[in-house]
Amino acid sequence: MASVLQQDVTVGARGKLALLIHFVLLISRQAKVRLTKWYSPYSQKERAKVLRELSGMILTRAPKLCNFVEWRGYKVVYKRYASLYFCMCINQDDNELEILEIIHHYVEILDRYFGSVCELDLIFNFHKAYYILEEILLAGELQESSKKSVARLIGAQDCLVEDAKEQASSIKNMIAQATK
Amino acid sequence: MGSQGGFGQSKEFLDLIKSIGECRSKAEEDRIVLREIETLKTRLSSPNTPKFKLKEYLIRLLYVEMLGHDASFGYIHAVKMTHDENLLLKRTGYLAVTLFLNEDHDLIILIVNTIQKDLKSDNYLVVCAALNAVCRLINEETIPAVLPQVVELLGHQKEAVRKKAVMALHRFYQRAPGSVSHLISNFRKRLCDNDPGVMGAALCPLFDLITIDADAYKDLVVSFVNILKQVAERRLPKSYDYHQMPAPFIQIKLLKILALLGSGDKKASEQMYTIVGDIMRKCDSTSNIGNAILYECICCVSSLHPNPKLLEAAADAISKFLKSDSHNLRYLGIDALSRLIKISPEIAEQHQLAVIDCLEFEYLFVCSFSCYKASMSLNLAFPYMISISDNHYKTEIASRCVELAEQFAPSNQWFIQAMNKVFEHAGDLVNAKVAHNLMRLIAEGFGEDDDAADTQLRSSAVESYLQIMGEPKLPSAFLQVICWVLGEYGTADGKYSASYITGKLCDVAEAHLADDTVKAYAITALMKIYSFEIAAGRAVDVLPECQSLIEEMLASHSTDLQQRAYELQAILNLDAHAVEKIMPMDSTCDDIEIDKSLSFLNGYVQQAVENGAQPYIPESERSGMSNISNFKSQEDHESSTHALRFEAYELPKPVLSQNVPPILASSTELVPVPEPLYVADILQPATSAPSGSDAGPSELRLRLDGVQRKWGKPTYSSATPSTSSNDTVKIQNEATQRDSVGISNSKTRDVSYDSRKQQVEISPEKQKLAASLFGVVSKSDGRQPSSSQKISKHQNPTSDKSRAAKTAAPDTAAVKTSQPPPDLLDLSEPSVSSSAPSVDPFKQWKAFLI
Repeated sequence: MASVLQQDVTVGARGKLALLIHFVLLISRQAKVRLTKWYSPYSQKERAKVLRELSGMILTRAPKLCNFVEWRGYKVVYKRYASLYFCMCINQDDNELEILEIIHHYVEILDRYFGSVCELDLIFNFHKAYYILEEILLAGELQESSKKSVARLIGAQDCLVEDAKEQASSIKNMIAQATK
Repeated sequence: MGSQGGFGQSKEFLDLIKSIGECRSKAEEDRIVLREIETLKTRLSSPNTPKFKLKEYLIRLLYVEMLGHDASFGYIHAVKMTHDENLLLKRTGYLAVTLFLNEDHDLIILIVNTIQKDLKSDNYLVVCAALNAVCRLINEETIPAVLPQVVELLGHQKEAVRKKAVMALHRFYQRAPGSVSHLISNFRKRLCDNDPGVMGAALCPLFDLITIDADAYKDLVVSFVNILKQVAERRLPKSYDYHQMPAPFIQIKLLKILALLGSGDKKASEQMYTIVGDIMRKCDSTSNIGNAILYECICCVSSLHPNPKLLEAAADAISKFLKSDSHNLRYLGIDALSRLIKISPEIAEQHQLAVIDCLEFEYLFVCSFSCYKASMSLNLAFPYMISISDNHYKTEIASRCVELAEQFAPSNQWFIQAMNKVFEHAGDLVNAKVAHNLMRLIAEGFGEDDDAADTQLRSSAVESYLQIMGEPKLPSAFLQVICWVLGEYGTADGKYSASYITGKLCDVAEAHLADDTVKAYAITALMKIYSFEIAAGRAVDVLPECQSLIEEMLASHSTDLQQRAYELQAILNLDAHAVEKIMPMDSTCDDIEIDKSLSFLNGYVQQAVENGAQPYIPESERSGMSNISNFKSQEDHESSTHALRFEAYELPKPVLSQNVPPILASSTELVPVPEPLYVADILQPATSAPSGSDAGPSELRLRLDGVQRKWGKPTYSSATPSTSSNDTVKIQNEATQRDSVGISNSKTRDVSYDSRKQQVEISPEKQKLAASLFGVVSKSDGRQPSSSQKISKHQNPTSDKSRAAKTAAPDTAAVKTSQPPPDLLDLSEPSVSSSAPSVDPFKQWKAFLI
């Protein structure tokens, strides 16, 4: 945690410039990690510690409690979708409900992309989830609040992938033919 | 799109994920991952691996790192992949480096060149990928390398690129404000971008800039208000709507900015009133996002120059939050209330009942603690504490009150009063340590060299205790504190006569005949007061009731009380000079110096040996007896209270034991105490000494005066320890007692939510409660606003929250264990789904399969 605290100190010196979101975690109900994205610098050791602490805290929370947990001077906003917990860490004085809705925004986009998303989609295509997250959050800030824009960009990237694949297969064919 | 293998992963990859999903233990998972790491190591470094395979290996590496294992061996391959011509591989490479590397990683330097090239690419997707990496990886040193290109991209034809360029520039500004200070005007320009996404992105850096220097951006107030108006009027494209709210995230950001700009600026605030009022009216309070905006509006209103109309609207919104069924909203409601109270305290009065309702939920109480700072939360806490009958929660809350009070007390007097309240309401549940801390605080003052302030603190403590002690049913721990303080400082400032204080102390002792601890404290206090009187040369007239109390104690079944009573009698018969040595005024804080080697007795020992006495043989040399004595000594150690011990006390330093008998022989005229105990008590006052004898040793020590003066070091003052060692032993002793009481209390706690509820349901009572509580609030606010404000300014606003959160965690966890396991498909509040008739993704979540 030292590094994060340090950052806060240096940031505090010239006003409050902390990030909106410090990290995003997706944890399954069995405390398995499904996605982690760190916007503040954390060492690998710190990450493991954070994950351990938070999964211990959040997974054991009773369902009727509010979706905000205070943790080490930050707040963690979490929301459970089926067997997955989406967690985001924010500063104390941020708008928790807004973060809750950013989580939901992400989930809706995932849902639209995968076509009724389930945990398996995210397990096997976690890199896709990363790509989508990169279009929504950038450097810890919400960069795009329009689902359509995100979908358009992701769609364009996927087309690229398809093109590349076709290209690759045609090249392979050519090579195959040439070597025959 | 299929869920499994829809994106062309190999079977190997799918198997890996499956086997990890099926793992039963962490060890099994680790084994699989380690095997995978080995495979990846060889494959990644093998020159024959085809490129498209490399991509998959990299993703597998990401997976391994996500599971918390070290994947640093593969970082270089991720970097290499960013160089690739193939866009697909390049994109994977960029994803991997942004996840793997921090901005201060050594490999960054290898990527900068690639990024530079990619920022110039014709393909906007490549540029986007590069910009993503820029935001994450470029550090202060490398900013100049990419800055010109990023600035150029601000004018790119694709909005996605412009947006990311703005974010990248914002990141640069956060990293190194100096490097981009000449480019700040670009953010203003981007505010007018055609694309709402770019405009929204430009709000992020502007928010930061305005946080630092609001005055430089006052000219933008009109623009922001206009943008907000347009957003609220749904002028933005439909795609920005979220749950029927027009671009809510942009609205929230704008409200945050307006709050900064309008803070302390009447003119700017006036320009905003209309639009903020409009938004509050328009907000759909049935959806989460509507409430998020509403909350932001309240925050905004509370930082703008006060406007009665808006404040009223905000208060209404808060009361809706507080009355809501959703815990999230209640949480926000309390948070919002605490913001608004700062500018309009009368709102608190309106909502006192609602807040108290919220407090019924323990976990919300925890939240409210973090929201209400120091005095506020304590004032809330006390009435709440009375209303709970569940000891467990009471203990929890009491300890949190103490914690808060210690941290945020605006003044010493306040702290003492707060502690009084805690003790009054939950005295028996508070950790005994707290009582001892309080005593120490009163004794030591606050560590400042201001004697006058310390004296004032003490006399105010005495005063408040004299008032309180008449009340029936005070908890034992509190009475102990009261007795101690009255004994030490009751007569110190001359305001109260000794007979008055002793009378009070007798009353306490008589009122608590069953409580030996309190009686012991009372009699020690009496002893102190009498000896102060004697030392001051005044005639002591022991009140008849004191006399009878002492006589009663002399015949007490408790040896401890008996001992104390005898001591008291002995002191009463001593002359002023001796008493002054025994019981010096205000000596609790003095350090006790103990000559552990008892060197001052060497001469005596020498003499005894010369006269033919047996020299002492250290225990280690008496090994022949060790078997028996070890066995015996163990037994003795356990039952030291009851049995006399015959062999020397087994301490690491044998010298001590050697010297003990002479002391007894030479200087003891008082009650003979088993000698080993004596040593134990003097040397280890921290161990919980048996109650029967803890006062004895100090008395014995007192008689050592003469000895010390003849042989001891000149600095050694044997008079000081008398009270202090006495007290430390006592305190420790009672600490253990108190602890055991606490444990038994918590064991027998009866879960009686019902009775608590009943109490709260009685509305007149509750109202009285509320009135008294908020009356206190406003009064105290009026009386010492400067000090409380000072506190809030001094303290990092987050620290107390975090503190509360820290302690909150185990509490809530403990509560939860008793809950039934959560429903698998227990989703969010119904309000969300009802307000989102479009597509409800929750319903479509499939069951968890792996």
